[in-house]
Amino acid sequence: MSLIKYESFVREPLVDGTKTYNDVTEDIVYTIEAKPSRLWYIGFYISVALLLFGVYSIYRDVTYGIGQWNLGKTVGWGWDITNFVWWVGIGHAGTLISAILLLFRQGWRTGVNRAAEAMTIFAVMCAGQFPIWHMGRVWMAFFVMPYPNTRGALWPNFNSPLLWDVFAISTYFTVSLLFWYSGLLPDLATIRDRAKTKLRKLFYGVASFGWSGSTKHWQRHESLSLVLAGLSTPLVLSVHTIVSFDFATSVVPGWHTTIFPPYFVAGAVFSGFAMVQTLMLITRRVMNLQDYITLGHIEAMNKVIVLTGSIVGCAYLTELFIAWYGANPYEYDAFFKYRLAGPYGWSYWIMMTCNVVSPQLFWFQKLRRNIGFTFFMSIIVNIGMWFERFVIIVTSIYRDYLPSSWTMYYRPTIFEIGFYLGTFGLFFTCYFLFSKYFPVIAIAEIKHVLKTSGESYKAKMADLENLSVEEFYAKTHHGDHH
Amino acid sequence: MDQKKYWQNLGELNNTEGYQKLVKDEFQEDLPMFDNSKGLLDAKTPRRDFLKYVGFSTAAAAVAAGCEAPVRKSIPYLNKPENLSPGVAQYYATTYVAEGDAVPVVAKVRDGRPIKIEGNDHSFLNMKGEGTSARVQSSVLDLYDTARLRWPAEVVNKELKELQLSEALDKKIAGELSGTTPVLLTSTITSPTTKQVIAEFLAKYPGGRHVQYDAISYSGLLLANERSYGKRTLPSYRFDKAKVIVSIDADFLGTWLSSEEYASQYASGRKINQKNPEMSKHIQFEGVLSLTGANADDRFLTRPSETGAIVLNLLAKLGGGVAAPAIADEKVKKGIDMAASMLGANKGAALVVCGSNDPDVQVLVNAINELLGANGVTINWAAPVQIRQGIDGEMDQLVKDMNSGQVSSLLIYEANPAYNYQDAAGFISGLQKVKLSVSFNDRADETSVLCKYIIPHPHYLESWGDAEARVGFYGLMQPTIEHLFSTRPFQTSLLKWSGSNTDYDEYFKKYWVEKLGGQMAFDAALQSGVVEPAEVSFASLPYNGAAVADAAAKVASVKSGSNAELILYQKVSIGSGATANNPWLQEMPDPISRATWDNYVMISYAMAKELGIELNDKYEVEYKKPVVEFTINGKPVKLPILAIAGMHPKVIALAVGYGRGEGVGLAGANVGYNAYPLVNGKGATRSYYSTDVTGYKNTGDTYDIAYTQTHNQYEGRVEVVREYTLADFRKNPEAVPHYREELAEDFAKHTGDFRAEATMYPNYESPGAHWGMSIDLNACTGCGACTIACTAENNVPVVGKSEVKRYHDMHWLRIDRYYASYRDKTEGDDLNVVFMPMLCQHCDNAPCENVCPVSATNHSSEGLNQMAYNRCIGTRYCANNCPFKVRRFNWADYTGADSFPDNQQFGVVGGLDPVVAQMNDDLTRMVLNPDVTVRSRGVIEKCSFCVQRLQDAKLKAKKSQDPSEIRNVKTACMQACSTGAIVFGNVNDKESRVYKLRTEEQNHRTYYALEHIHVLPNISYLAKIRNTDRPVGVKEEEHGATEIKEEAHH
Repeated sequence: MSLIKYESFVREPLVDGTKTYNDVTEDIVYTIEAKPSRLWYIGFYISVALLLFGVYSIYRDVTYGIGQWNLGKTVGWGWDITNFVWWVGIGHAGTLISAILLLFRQGWRTGVNRAAEAMTIFAVMCAGQFPIWHMGRVWMAFFVMPYPNTRGALWPNFNSPLLWDVFAISTYFTVSLLFWYSGLLPDLATIRDRAKTKLRKLFYGVASFGWSGSTKHWQRHESLSLVLAGLSTPLVLSVHTIVSFDFATSVVPGWHTTIFPPYFVAGAVFSGFAMVQTLMLITRRVMNLQDYITLGHIEAMNKVIVLTGSIVGCAYLTELFIAWYGANPYEYDAFFKYRLAGPYGWSYWIMMTCNVVSPQLFWFQKLRRNIGFTFFMSIIVNIGMWFERFVIIVTSIYRDYLPSSWTMYYRPTIFEIGFYLGTFGLFFTCYFLFSKYFPVIAIAEIKHVLKTSGESYKAKMADLENLSVEEFYAKTHHGDHH
Repeated sequence: MDQKKYWQNLGELNNTEGYQKLVKDEFQEDLPMFDNSKGLLDAKTPRRDFLKYVGFSTAAAAVAAGCEAPVRKSIPYLNKPENLSPGVAQYYATTYVAEGDAVPVVAKVRDGRPIKIEGNDHSFLNMKGEGTSARVQSSVLDLYDTARLRWPAEVVNKELKELQLSEALDKKIAGELSGTTPVLLTSTITSPTTKQVIAEFLAKYPGGRHVQYDAISYSGLLLANERSYGKRTLPSYRFDKAKVIVSIDADFLGTWLSSEEYASQYASGRKINQKNPEMSKHIQFEGVLSLTGANADDRFLTRPSETGAIVLNLLAKLGGGVAAPAIADEKVKKGIDMAASMLGANKGAALVVCGSNDPDVQVLVNAINELLGANGVTINWAAPVQIRQGIDGEMDQLVKDMNSGQVSSLLIYEANPAYNYQDAAGFISGLQKVKLSVSFNDRADETSVLCKYIIPHPHYLESWGDAEARVGFYGLMQPTIEHLFSTRPFQTSLLKWSGSNTDYDEYFKKYWVEKLGGQMAFDAALQSGVVEPAEVSFASLPYNGAAVADAAAKVASVKSGSNAELILYQKVSIGSGATANNPWLQEMPDPISRATWDNYVMISYAMAKELGIELNDKYEVEYKKPVVEFTINGKPVKLPILAIAGMHPKVIALAVGYGRGEGVGLAGANVGYNAYPLVNGKGATRSYYSTDVTGYKNTGDTYDIAYTQTHNQYEGRVEVVREYTLADFRKNPEAVPHYREELAEDFAKHTGDFRAEATMYPNYESPGAHWGMSIDLNACTGCGACTIACTAENNVPVVGKSEVKRYHDMHWLRIDRYYASYRDKTEGDDLNVVFMPMLCQHCDNAPCENVCPVSATNHSSEGLNQMAYNRCIGTRYCANNCPFKVRRFNWADYTGADSFPDNQQFGVVGGLDPVVAQMNDDLTRMVLNPDVTVRSRGVIEKCSFCVQRLQDAKLKAKKSQDPSEIRNVKTACMQACSTGAIVFGNVNDKESRVYKLRTEEQNHRTYYALEHIHVLPNISYLAKIRNTDRPVGVKEEEHGATEIKEEAHH
């Protein structure tokens, strides 16, 4: 028996089945070249309908005022900023998978990175809507841009975390978009090369920027990927750090907390992975990509979820500990009287259950590899993370320093909900278009992986494995007799 | 020259054709230069200019699209009137007159429009101050009320038919009048000229009579004074001369008689001189938590039916020689003992007042005051007060006469019995039997639409006239604007109909010119607005105790049952309900309940529990309040409730003045429930309570009540509210300075300079003025006049009930009311109430400023936290980050100032009430202060420290080279405050009041709210001191626990 095993005992293959390069291309490009399924149309139309409702909701808000939402003198931010932070958080997984996992040489990222990056971009687009349309005078939004103007030396206020947001999010969006698109180039070229219709030729011809697959192109592509990965890595950490500054730099008890940056980043990765799970589980099923997005991928992401969920749980407990240990009665009250208890106590416990308690079930491998359970948990985590932002934002400001001003943020109006649903519409409209017109899995990268993983690779290596040690030695060291 | 040839390649050497072509086409594109030969429009856009073109076309498109502003024409004077410069305000002294009240005021007139009212400080009636009540402040808005009748009308089948003011009309009415015995029904009239006109009119119509009818009756007091002192009139009370004040049911700081004057007097006894801390003692017996009760040092809960018994007991304890019924309640008994002993020890400096309208009770109160030596000291009879003269019996007789057909003509001025008479149905049926009825009311109110003619009387700001609130103390009225509508003084009508040819204006002038001895004197009097003696003299009246025994017997016979009892009270804002269409008043939060736009039944916490209402968080924040069915006087009434601390467990209270009919106007119509039919008119005088509340049950329904404050305790947050007992303050006067020193020790270890060291931001100097304010929590009674003054001065929008209940109220200045019970005990006698005026604190290290992404809110070198509305994009971050929650956001287009047209009517999510339309009417908008920007939708606004006044003062100081102009500047709230609780000024000026208060006069009580978070407010508060033995505020040991050691920099 040979001692040599080319199939790892611990690592499962990254691609299931005996795939040839051609199989890979066919499997992934098939959906682009075929007519969309009935399901796709139904989903797409629902998304567009949601998007239109969102547009109407924004129209109401712009025409009639922010009074279309149920905010008030004490609670000035509600669903708007909650949704903003939620979407930004979701937009973290893609870049994390692409950049940080690339730097860490995590092979399994190839199956999910494309869709995750697309999701990142769409999520950041959705997130961006909220700070824009929550402004009372959105038509003056350009005041936040530092541009030379005729008003004298009138600049935006560089002390304001909201301004930092503007830069942080736009930078993040730009880099993510570049990263995603540069990764798409070889795949778009593949589609172009296969294109049979004129329109498709034209579209993918333009979109692939004249990619010819030359060695030089590949070399530049790889370098660019590394550079962008290097750029994105700090951005993954910085964006949510800066979003957390919106709260951390304020004086409001419950917001004014130094733990926020790491806590927000962990939470963002947590919710981002959950969203990737939700989408991937549907995508692999609908588009028959089980061989590329394997149980191994799902399990790997579940591990990240349980890790980040536990970090978040630690952060929650640290907050509580400091609120008690810090002996600041205002902070103590904010956490123990009005967050854990009080009229919004229920939202805190939803958050705790969804984010801290339930992900612990992922310590069981069986559950980590259970697709139904994973899907359920991914939804639970995203509900929990939405409530985390709601808890931080609303349950801090509804009862702050002056008890005379305490109020409630009753319930969202139909247009507040409509705006949120509208961003779902935007997100899924984009995602449906993406899944129809772009390869949802990085074809070139999968092919790269096939060289070192998968059944075909195993088959190729079977002969070697079957050799005895001596034969193997002889085969690999011919001419080296002694 | 060297003939050497250098070449780079063979092509160049041989100058081949190919090379020549290459050289020619070296730059394959044209250089990106403008080719102007073809004209600008045909020019190509080179790549390098792409951004330029994008920039230009975007800007051009923006300019083209954005420049279409609505055209508003302003027409300059063709001939500039003398003494009138556009943009320069003029001030006219005049007198506010309403329902008997007469307050000398000064009207600020800008470009021909009166826009602001201040008290006239020449008058003793204002205690020589500029303070006014909320109602006086808001009266300027009534001038521009859209519901005012714009022409005389004949009422045909409840429809108004326009009439012309003409001789023909006068002849017609005079014709109808002749042969009748007219009755003139008015509210209390203090005007000497009007009285003379009425006398002359009645002389022409023998058998006619004048009936004065007050919506809220003081007959009991008037009749009692007749019995005790032989005069059916009112004394002038002097709360400032009293060291011990006992009030039984009298809300003398809020709604009882001349309460603004009393508040000012009262405050003078409540302000603390820290070198020798002393203050008056105020004991209140009452069933409902009134504004006055909220200010009392000790408060005892009683039922309204026990009022007589308490007075009797007090009289007995003071040696009045009467037998007093036993008081069951131990606490009240002790309260009476305490009151009696304190009163007894302060004879000559004590005052007892009582809100009862029962003459017998008031006779006993007179007896008490006589025993205390109050007659001539705290009860001054030198110049009797005439502001209430109505006797209930006369009105009752009139209604009886009308129903029996004995009244053939009725002329009604400023009276609305069809709304506010307890037997309105009886009055209405009687009115139908009257042949000729004329109303002079200013609108088609409940009574006017039932009359035959309405000839509207002008607003006081349009009128000539006078008022004699106190005998010998005259206030003169002069018009500040031409009549807006076709209105005519009712006195003119009376003159015309009695055959005279002069109108009232002439009559008035003639009267006063004669009386004062010449035109010059008249002009001078008009200018000062008042004709008053140089000094207030004091005098007593001979007291006659004969009626006491009889009264005592009658009062003793009143038994208190076991039923719950109803108190009908007046709200500080709406009062009797005459001004119910005033949006400012409707939106003014009630000082106690903090509710707007409604009346409701106030019940005790105990009764709420009995009704199965859980007083938890949900109750606190939910504006849908339970509707309870009460059985009052045998009839079921369904009314919403509010549970209020400090109510007697068996007492419920309902405000009168609500439930007005359609005729009152958009804002006031159908707001709340009309409680006047519940007034008990069975006795000789009306009584404003009922002992007959036999049942109450929770219907399970709810009703929306819009209130501005949900939480009532300050949760032991001593950094917000500091209160001490007088004894504690004497013992430990430096508690507050000590706390502030500790802060400096903890956070400014090196320099001891808390301001500069405890922050990471640089410390900015303010070399010129630095504005600051000091608010004395002891002097503030919570009346809310400042809120309305601020609204008037700063064009603060009215948003209506549906917006208030969504917490969209816009007041820049609010008065936080805390139930500050000792150890969370929220019920009963231990209740303390704190009023804390809260407005932008103009923090020098303002948390709102550094979070604004566009610097729309920023700091001036004078310490002002400023808002640049034009720059604001409405992120609301500043409001979230404001620890004082004083920033207000324009959630919708409240002012009509938005550039989006037609966006005030939105359904689905709330919507703007009709009152917003009323406030945006071109007529109502005349009240806007042109010096203050009207804010549009989507921007944050807040207190500016009346920066327009500051700028004006600085300008004046500069022009006159007199810095004292700056020293005299007052914010609107300070000017309106009759108790002097608010002091504003330049803290850099060592001579300024505010500087002196902070550094020497009141440094022991000076604290800054939330000082520990180092926001450096420019408003300081003076700690509240209570003259009581009860524990106050937070327990001593808790004090220590709540001292904050938080990181101070942010």
